[in-house]
Amino acid sequence: MTTDIYLVGVGGQGIITASGIIGDAALFAGKKVLLSETHGMAQRGGSVVCTARIGDFHSPLIPNGRADVILSFELLETLRGLCAASKRTTVIASTERIVPLSVSAQKLRYPTLDEVKIAVERTAGEFHSVDAPALARQAGVPMSSNIVMVGALFGTGLSGIDESSFRKAIGANVPRKAEENAKAFSMGAEAVRKRRAS
Amino acid sequence: MKSPSCLRQTHDSDSSKRYFHHGSNHSGNMDRVLDAPPGSTVLLLGNEAIARGALEAGVAVATTYPGTPASEIGDALARIAKAAGIYFEYSTNEMVATEMAIGASTSGVRSLVSMKHVGVNVAADALLTFAYTGTRGGFVLITADDPSCHSSQNEQDNRYYALLGSIPLLEPSSPQECYEMTKEGFALSEKLELPVIVRTTTRVSHVRGPVKVGKIVQGQKKSEFVKDPKRFVTVPAVAKTRHLVLLQQLGKAEMLADESPMNFVLKVGGGSKEGVITSSAAFNYVMDASSELGLSLDVLKLGFSSPLPRNKVAEFLRGHEAVLIVEELEPVLETEVRAVAQHNSIRTRILGKEDKLLPRAHEFDQAIVGSALSKAFGAKSKKSEPARAAPEDLPARPPVLCTGCPHSATYFAVNKATGRNAIFASDIGCYTLGVSPPYNTADLLVCMGSSVGTAGGLAKVNSQPVVAFIGDSTFYHAGIPALVNAVHNGHKFLLMILDNRTTAMTGHQPHPGSSSGPTCCDITAVELEGLVRGCGVKWLRVVDPYDIKTTTETVKEALRQEGVSVIIARRECALIAKRDKEGAILKKHFIDQEACHKCKTCVDRFQCPAISSANKVQTIDDALCAGCGVCAQVCPWKAIKEVK
Repeated sequence: MTTDIYLVGVGGQGIITASGIIGDAALFAGKKVLLSETHGMAQRGGSVVCTARIGDFHSPLIPNGRADVILSFELLETLRGLCAASKRTTVIASTERIVPLSVSAQKLRYPTLDEVKIAVERTAGEFHSVDAPALARQAGVPMSSNIVMVGALFGTGLSGIDESSFRKAIGANVPRKAEENAKAFSMGAEAVRKRRAS
Repeated sequence: MKSPSCLRQTHDSDSSKRYFHHGSNHSGNMDRVLDAPPGSTVLLLGNEAIARGALEAGVAVATTYPGTPASEIGDALARIAKAAGIYFEYSTNEMVATEMAIGASTSGVRSLVSMKHVGVNVAADALLTFAYTGTRGGFVLITADDPSCHSSQNEQDNRYYALLGSIPLLEPSSPQECYEMTKEGFALSEKLELPVIVRTTTRVSHVRGPVKVGKIVQGQKKSEFVKDPKRFVTVPAVAKTRHLVLLQQLGKAEMLADESPMNFVLKVGGGSKEGVITSSAAFNYVMDASSELGLSLDVLKLGFSSPLPRNKVAEFLRGHEAVLIVEELEPVLETEVRAVAQHNSIRTRILGKEDKLLPRAHEFDQAIVGSALSKAFGAKSKKSEPARAAPEDLPARPPVLCTGCPHSATYFAVNKATGRNAIFASDIGCYTLGVSPPYNTADLLVCMGSSVGTAGGLAKVNSQPVVAFIGDSTFYHAGIPALVNAVHNGHKFLLMILDNRTTAMTGHQPHPGSSSGPTCCDITAVELEGLVRGCGVKWLRVVDPYDIKTTTETVKEALRQEGVSVIIARRECALIAKRDKEGAILKKHFIDQEACHKCKTCVDRFQCPAISSANKVQTIDDALCAGCGVCAQVCPWKAIKEVK
């Protein structure tokens, strides 16, 4: 089994850390994994893409339309990430909004959650929205929206990675506030599970 | 499928000895680059794998100038140099970094120097003649190329440096190979007494993947230099004979390349009369695309690609009816492979960029390579998903200057002082982002340090005032000779040194103006003012860019001067200030809507990610506000106030 995960968001949201956790977790679970990361200038508040390919691949880049999961850390970036989507793609979107300067400068409109949902349902498959910042605050680690999103990925059951590998990977990558981050992970997982059940 | 790893170390997914720690080395945490136990498999960035490979080769001196996509090699080594017992430094520029490593290597000590592709242009003067003297201790130069210009001003193909300099070159495709080839590079360098180049690309350096590591060894750290001027002092008579030695060694290198396990044939899907010759990241796309298309192919994967293993290539060509060359950027292999065929009268059909099957610009992906394979070998390409472009009306999100960035304040003040009636020579760093509205403070940019040099030429032939912008790290790197030139030849322009006390763009590495930073040894700050005065500059002012009024007035005064005037706009990078507790003395601001005249100066002429405008109302996002207070000075109606 292979899983292609396409992570999108804005520079500074902890996306490289999230993909690193997914990579370590896959390795702990005995799987082959490759990640690609965005470094450098793009990180200055620009759109950022990371990829995680779990399985027997040589390149970490995910071909167009081939993502199994799009893990979006920012609402607008979800739409940009749809280039990786097909009907079999599950989209998990954080409802966090970071309004780009172009919205006021060029009089563009920032999309609503409903508009994002409609666009996702038109091109992709399942859609889950997660209020990651709120859950991170509840867990006592406001900076750990990215851990909530990793939890949400686990909650879909699509990663093929077991829970203990994920938890071990979080401990290895985010050694501070271990208990709170573990909680943030659980809350992210629970948020998606609840939706799937309903 | 066989592992493509050149030394056949497979990714042992069942290994129980897994190493799993976080990359940073703060508060006594273990570091995965340094502390991963021998035999364990650990997830490493390509660049981290290079650092580990160097440690296992017993490197003793490592130098760099940071640049994406190479920066994490130096960052990893800076972090662990002390614990690893090696000497590491961030050098002033790539040439100095290379010369440092040459000094160590010619003394018999293994040395590593890393840089981005355009850095090699700076280092080339040293590197190309070092190939003549040759090495004693192993010398490996890492060049990280950037096809598609993800974070670079060009996408030059540095494999040409191997051809230009008669220098052996290795091309890893994965983190595992980054590790292995760096390690092997040192052995090769000593065997041949030549420098060795290891060339990565963004999609190799910035890939994180499993790496099975070995044992770190302590190499020779100290030496006694053995004099041999007939080898090491390249006066013309010596250079002339050393070139012959170099060519002789290059011949030996080719024999080693012919036998090297880094160059191997993989039979995909049972093998066939059709073949592919490939290297670097392109190999990965060949493997993934041929597996997807269900192709049967023989793949000659070149890891030790220069000098070209001509016997191995000729043998491969003879065994196949048609061979497609798959390489990113320039047709380096393709040209050489065609020459091998011609020389050996081999009639195999050779396909590649000459046949327009593959592009010469920008990086590849699986779809590009899959389509070329299908066209070359008549396979039916699988119906792939159409490339889905993002909806056109999506608000763009280009990188921008951060909240509280001192460069924003400087650019606002310069625009105010010049009325935008000036030519702006820009340079390499975060501040290049001034090219975008609302500042538009970049009119010309070619390379590191070019703002100062081009400003002279611009001023000589234009009637408008000329303002050059250069960052502190970039000024130390390449601005000084150009400033000396401007003073000496009497050019008239204003040079603004945007001094944010760090090399911000590449991850906040120290530079010669820093007195502390992650490194193995004590560093001394070389003061900017003294340096500028030492270049002969008579008119120098230092301003705090957060003080808009003073900065604006100072710029006006500077432009009235004859000759070169220099302003140092000094304020710590906002990202560092935010981490620093003293940053907390800054005050958050809000827009008093009753006082606001909706003139939009704060968004049309100034740019801050915390200030937005919706439904004709401008607001400051309190969570994002860095508290710099510059917007309060920007507002002509004094409607932006401190939060009490």
